[in-house]
Amino acid sequence: MMASGDSRPGLLAGDGIGARLARHSLWLIALALIAIPLADLEILSRDPWAELGRMALGLALPDLGAIETPLQAIGLTVAVAFWGTLSGVVLGLPLALVYSRSRWVRAASAGVRAVHELFWALLFLQVFGLSALTALAALAIPYAGIFAKVYAEILEQTPRAAQEALPEGTSRLARLAYTELPLAFAQLAAYTRYRFECALRASVLLGFVGLPTLGYQLESAFREGRYHEAGALLWLFYALIATLPWWAHRRLLLPLGIASVTLLGPWPEIDGGLLWRFVSQDIWPRALLTGDISGLVDWLMGLPALVTAVANTLLLGLLGTVGALLIALALWPLASRHFGNPLTRGAGRGILILLRSTPELMLAFIFLLLLGPSLLPAWLALALHNGALIAFLVSRHAHAIEPGMAGLPASGRLAYELLPRVYPGMLALVYYRAEVILRESALLGMLGVATLGDIIDDAFQMLMFDVAFALLVVTALLNILVDALARRLRPCEPPIDDPCLR
Amino acid sequence: MRSLASLTSLLAIATAGLIGLPSVAAADTFRFTAIPDEDESRLVERFSKVADYLSDTLEVDVEYVPVKSYGAAVTAFRNDQVQLAWFGGLSGVQARRLVPGSQALAQGVEDAAFETYFLAHASTGLEPADTLPDSIEGKTFTFGAKTSTSGRLMPEHYLRERFDAAPEELFTRVGFSGDHSRTIALVEAGTYDIGAVNFKVWDAALANGDVDTDKVDVIWSTPSYPDYQWTLRGDADETFGAGFTDRVRQALLSMDDPELLESFPRSGFIPADNDMYAPIESVAENLGLLR
Repeated sequence: MMASGDSRPGLLAGDGIGARLARHSLWLIALALIAIPLADLEILSRDPWAELGRMALGLALPDLGAIETPLQAIGLTVAVAFWGTLSGVVLGLPLALVYSRSRWVRAASAGVRAVHELFWALLFLQVFGLSALTALAALAIPYAGIFAKVYAEILEQTPRAAQEALPEGTSRLARLAYTELPLAFAQLAAYTRYRFECALRASVLLGFVGLPTLGYQLESAFREGRYHEAGALLWLFYALIATLPWWAHRRLLLPLGIASVTLLGPWPEIDGGLLWRFVSQDIWPRALLTGDISGLVDWLMGLPALVTAVANTLLLGLLGTVGALLIALALWPLASRHFGNPLTRGAGRGILILLRSTPELMLAFIFLLLLGPSLLPAWLALALHNGALIAFLVSRHAHAIEPGMAGLPASGRLAYELLPRVYPGMLALVYYRAEVILRESALLGMLGVATLGDIIDDAFQMLMFDVAFALLVVTALLNILVDALARRLRPCEPPIDDPCLR
Repeated sequence: MRSLASLTSLLAIATAGLIGLPSVAAADTFRFTAIPDEDESRLVERFSKVADYLSDTLEVDVEYVPVKSYGAAVTAFRNDQVQLAWFGGLSGVQARRLVPGSQALAQGVEDAAFETYFLAHASTGLEPADTLPDSIEGKTFTFGAKTSTSGRLMPEHYLRERFDAAPEELFTRVGFSGDHSRTIALVEAGTYDIGAVNFKVWDAALANGDVDTDKVDVIWSTPSYPDYQWTLRGDADETFGAGFTDRVRQALLSMDDPELLESFPRSGFIPADNDMYAPIESVAENLGLLR
């Protein structure tokens, strides 16, 4: 059939949502393509395949016997996650009550949650040493900011009718106890449960900075090439995550809490003088404290290669976000009921859950051992972890869709029926995730990738706490800025509301 | 609402737990750490034996506290979580600046004249020489840990002295491996062309047959400088009784069991003091690693 040129719309022209989103996505991908030549994506190791083979062998034949004190490490990992989350709730819930009224509370919550748990750990290490308090504070402080925001949003959405029935002058606390909490409890509990799962992963990662959780031995075993032991630790970690619904059942929470408190330790002897010196002097540039303006300018000029680090962090954030979009696009059909057979779906879902459960830092660390310290391993880790997370949510969302056109082949079903319906949500999820990806981009510098985390680690190693603190503030501001930008650019509200995104 | 009740009771327990728990650090256990300059399995093996030896000699409970980074070793020392530490030259200076009154007690016999070896991958074609050849320019290079004396401070110092340029200008890529074992592994695998390594760790790896010298070998060694030392906090006598500092020093100096010494690896320990490390301090200040 001949179509007349002027009546057929151009491929990407028009105001329909499909064309709009397609243009938007292509712009995003084009931006990433332009940025690629600026990124250092070199493979440095000469024989990554041989190393990959050794790692795969270690994973296939894990040596559980090689792990020293596995129960102790698991116990501490769980205890830190549990009590860290609970402390976050205790600190965050009161803040949630005044969240909408106080600009200061909103700013402070945004600030603390913009700094990664591991950066907080590095900060608290300086005053509380390698202790349970460092681990708990590293989780509790950022989570307080997150809980404040998310709890406030959930409470906001509770039906108004019950509140309006209250007599005038009822206190905020009474309103919470009698109208909001009963209505919102299920949602609050679901979110808290999800946060606990995040805490579990973060608790493992605390081992990377020296706290004796599961990550401590995992990092050493991988770094020193003891892959059979590393494989065993990795499977132990997956088992812990996979069995979460059973051992962290609602009815087991109380005994779990009581049992795990004894596993926390050691408790530091807090040196008040040292703590005060750290807060009042160590983290501030001396010139600022003495009011020496020219000294302050010198100090600012002396800050390490800030521009390069910020540029690399943003670059990695952009590449990671676009990479996550492409990975999600490619992987979501793997776990969807609309494609393949039970076997392929099972395998697909398994791969997605595995990638989703492995924290970016851990993936990046493993890729870095294989490929060498360029941006490439960090990019792969960010794209795979976040892409798998989004793909998982999208395939679950697509579950409810009933294809209307019978007899289409799989490719047609994907292109004409499913993709148009899930894509707006997928793109929105990617934008939601951009903030997290940027936060991780900064953190991955701790592994030697040239982002902000690298110079933050430098400053901590050289005990220049004023520089480290200033760089952490820069990191937080950058994160808040990018979050605001992602909100503006986001094409639409995500129809898939999932706690995993916040 | 039942969950709410259990949440409340949990909180009560938490509060009670946090207040009631005894502070572990309060017990008079003498703790020490060491910079993690090598594979951890070696460190744990090495220092558990040393803990037993010190415990027998000093007649107090002694415990080795493992750490993940040089910075963490210094932090543990500063926070009094450890009272004694086996530091490198630079980390020792950092620690003694942060804890006034602390002193260097003893160093290894070899630490009075320590050296750094520059390693090169066979594919670079670099040969051993008396000075670093110009042809190392444009190669890739890895240091050890960021605040390692033999893995970063001194090699950077001698590179700058020889080429009058920062390492980042000299090489196309500069990395930090984290520890000496990893530096050897990275240069052997060819991930980096050249690396700077603690000469004792290299010698030990060679003696153990852990290195393939067809792939990686030494091309240059630095002039000698003072390095590792045992540093004790200034308030040790207050905590563990008068004369404790002297007893610790004596215990370290009289450590003569070859099995203990071999794991360091040092042939023995000799007296040291803070002033011996003044050269390290000034080099570090020049490079901006100390201020």
